[in-house]
Amino acid sequence: MTGLRVRHRRTVALDSVDLALGTGVHGLLGPNGAGKTSLIRVLATVAGPSAGRVELLGRDTAEHRALGEVRGRLGYLPQEFGYYPGFTVREFVSYVAWLKEMPAARTPAAVERAVARVGLADRADRKIRTLSGGMVRRVGIAQAIVNAPEVLLLDEPTAGLDPEQRVEFRELLRELGASATVVVSTHLVEDVAAACTEVTLLDSGRVAYRGTPDTLTALGETSDGPGDHPIERGYTAALRAHRATEVLR
Amino acid sequence: MTTPWHASEDLTLRYADGSLPEADAWSLEKHLETCTACATRVSTAVRNTPAGLVLDEVRDLILTATATRPKGARGSDMCGSAAWARPAPTGRHLTTHLKPTLWSLGPALRGTWLLALLTVVVGALLLNRAAGYEATRTLLLTLAPVIPVAGVALSYGPHADPLHEITAATPSGGLRLALTRTAAVLGLSLPALTLTGAALPASGAPGAAAWLLPALALTLGSLTLASYVGCRTATAVTGGGWLAAVLVPAFAAHGGSLTARLAGRLAVCFDGAQPGWAAAAAVCAVLLAVRRDAYDHLENR
Repeated sequence: MTGLRVRHRRTVALDSVDLALGTGVHGLLGPNGAGKTSLIRVLATVAGPSAGRVELLGRDTAEHRALGEVRGRLGYLPQEFGYYPGFTVREFVSYVAWLKEMPAARTPAAVERAVARVGLADRADRKIRTLSGGMVRRVGIAQAIVNAPEVLLLDEPTAGLDPEQRVEFRELLRELGASATVVVSTHLVEDVAAACTEVTLLDSGRVAYRGTPDTLTALGETSDGPGDHPIERGYTAALRAHRATEVLR
Repeated sequence: MTTPWHASEDLTLRYADGSLPEADAWSLEKHLETCTACATRVSTAVRNTPAGLVLDEVRDLILTATATRPKGARGSDMCGSAAWARPAPTGRHLTTHLKPTLWSLGPALRGTWLLALLTVVVGALLLNRAAGYEATRTLLLTLAPVIPVAGVALSYGPHADPLHEITAATPSGGLRLALTRTAAVLGLSLPALTLTGAALPASGAPGAAAWLLPALALTLGSLTLASYVGCRTATAVTGGGWLAAVLVPAFAAHGGSLTARLAGRLAVCFDGAQPGWAAAAAVCAVLLAVRRDAYDHLENR
């Protein structure tokens, strides 16, 4: 794992973003429309950058051959994802494993493992359309981790999860972050505080702040901005500071 | 230790059918804890009651069901960490190999498009056989080239495939999957429509196989165009373009019935132009190969 480097220039969604991300859990914070989803989609190789370079696992994703190899080592949970309504949980995750070109002999065990890790083992044979929103989200997480990805991109993975499930999910995130580069976009600051090793704050397509949950909390403790917890105050303080410098520019 | 008394026949039977007073039942139960002989007799008596017989039956059913349980059957026992550590039954392995390949053929083959293909085939045969409409082949050949093009539109891309966003981030996404699905669409529609055409009387229409090269060229043209503008727009242009090229001159012309004019127009498009269609198909195939990288990020277009 050599980490990934992103330089992406685009007038609308992301502008002059330079990021290098290594092993660990990276929280991607920011207001709606800040460019979190755009960044994740570029990292997932679904969208191509209009300018700039994206390097994943040491390979330039602009090269067709490198792209195929990198995609096999990726996991991606889109913010909104569809499924074939007749599929069971196991069939859906197996199909994604097949799309990721996993060796067929390893697939059944990997599928069971991924489904068990998101706590859906007892519902593996249920059709996805019969599951609740939170469970569908967990199916999405299972398909993302089925190939034990080295780069895992999760767009709003905790949306629709109840508090208990979110706590379990953070535990899973910490496990995954031990060996992989995990990027999690979220609008829940407490998710970042609990599970992330690094924080990147985006605003209007630019990087507004980079640090750790601790530095963001420390920022909040010295500021009197709005927020119920120090890390929330840190979030608003960092955002305001960034906007102030943008105005000066 | 010797026991002072043993349960009588009457006591045992009354205990088994539940008519023994509670105090007596308790003292009997206390005795059964230490007396094997009485416990065996009570047990036999209970088994012969109606409830005991039902229980026996249930036990037999469960044992039979467990013994004949098919390999690879999935049940709630598959949960927990021990389950995935256990080697998967061979039946499951087969489905893992076969099923995804069929799934990958995508949304078209199990959705609207398949229904449309069936409607055209059955409709054409009914129109000719049941309604006695002679010029059915002309109508079929007019419509036929659009059907594989529509199959492409309904097979690939964010508008057609609910899984597209996930698929696009996998190594299988892109041109390979689009081609696999197109091949499936062609593999079904070309023989089905050609055979249908052959089963209809000619009545002045071109041969039943005359549409094959044009359909191939239009399909490859759609895929090539899709690398610039996306599948939906591309197929609308090629499919709509074909219909316009055939129908507009046929409607605009004078003399003869509409179907005769249509048959004449088809003859112009098909009969003399086969080398042209072959060349167009070849050019499109080469262009598609050149444009293959565009399918890596098709959603941008």
